[in-house]
Amino acid sequence: MRSKTPYVLLALGTLLLLFGSYWGLFVAPSERYMGEVQRIMYVHVPTAWNWMLAVLFAFGCAIAYLFTANAKWDSRMEAGLEVGVLLAFLLCIQGSIWAKPTWGVWWDWDPRLTSVAVLLMASLGILALRSFVDDPSRRAVWSAVATIIASVDLPIVYFSVKWWNSLHQEQSTPQTVSSAFHLPLRVNAVAVLLLMIGFLMLRTRVAALRLERESAVPQLQQEAGELA
Amino acid sequence: MTGVVEGGWEFVIAAYAITVLGFAIYGASLVARLKELNKHD
Repeated sequence: MRSKTPYVLLALGTLLLLFGSYWGLFVAPSERYMGEVQRIMYVHVPTAWNWMLAVLFAFGCAIAYLFTANAKWDSRMEAGLEVGVLLAFLLCIQGSIWAKPTWGVWWDWDPRLTSVAVLLMASLGILALRSFVDDPSRRAVWSAVATIIASVDLPIVYFSVKWWNSLHQEQSTPQTVSSAFHLPLRVNAVAVLLLMIGFLMLRTRVAALRLERESAVPQLQQEAGELA
Repeated sequence: MTGVVEGGWEFVIAAYAITVLGFAIYGASLVARLKELNKHD
């Protein structure tokens, strides 16, 4: 009997996202300079926070795999990478849609955007690498090492707006933003967190089932050989 | 030029629509992959 927890989390996350988005779109006031476009913040920032969490999760799983060689950490790492790709992809699109009316361009090679794009490409590369390696343990070790190396980019993403004179604005905090703005933002952050955990759980199941089947094939071949 | 972004609802709607669509398609793909894998059990 498979757990229903991921489906419950996805349902709760969807309801909360609808509530938070309604609040951000129709209840929260518009911002003085960015006008209505600022409302994109209520999905863009939660996506960014949770993408960072997904990358951190994959990084933690990669370390855990290298220490334990337990396949469950490999399945979790694969899930973290793929959910991270989804969130990074959405993050870049939302950011582009925000950038056009506020910066005048869809994309700029500023440090924040560039470092996010690098990590997105690295994660896609690791997932591609996994599909080319047949041996499960070699695949797990290689992708764990690659994930750890790629994760070095995460602090660069976070601090890029502080270290360089970036076009992207610095992180806002509840101290610098009115509660009318940061409350719907927090609701959506929790909503995306629930969705992300639900996705991670389901994707881990997919990876574990594939691994189970992969290891069953040589066993069946061996049994067939013994019978012959 | 006032320095204030005017209008822009089309950008907001596009950002929310793409986000919802992205989550929905990914969720559906996960359920489909799980169904496919469980079918062979």
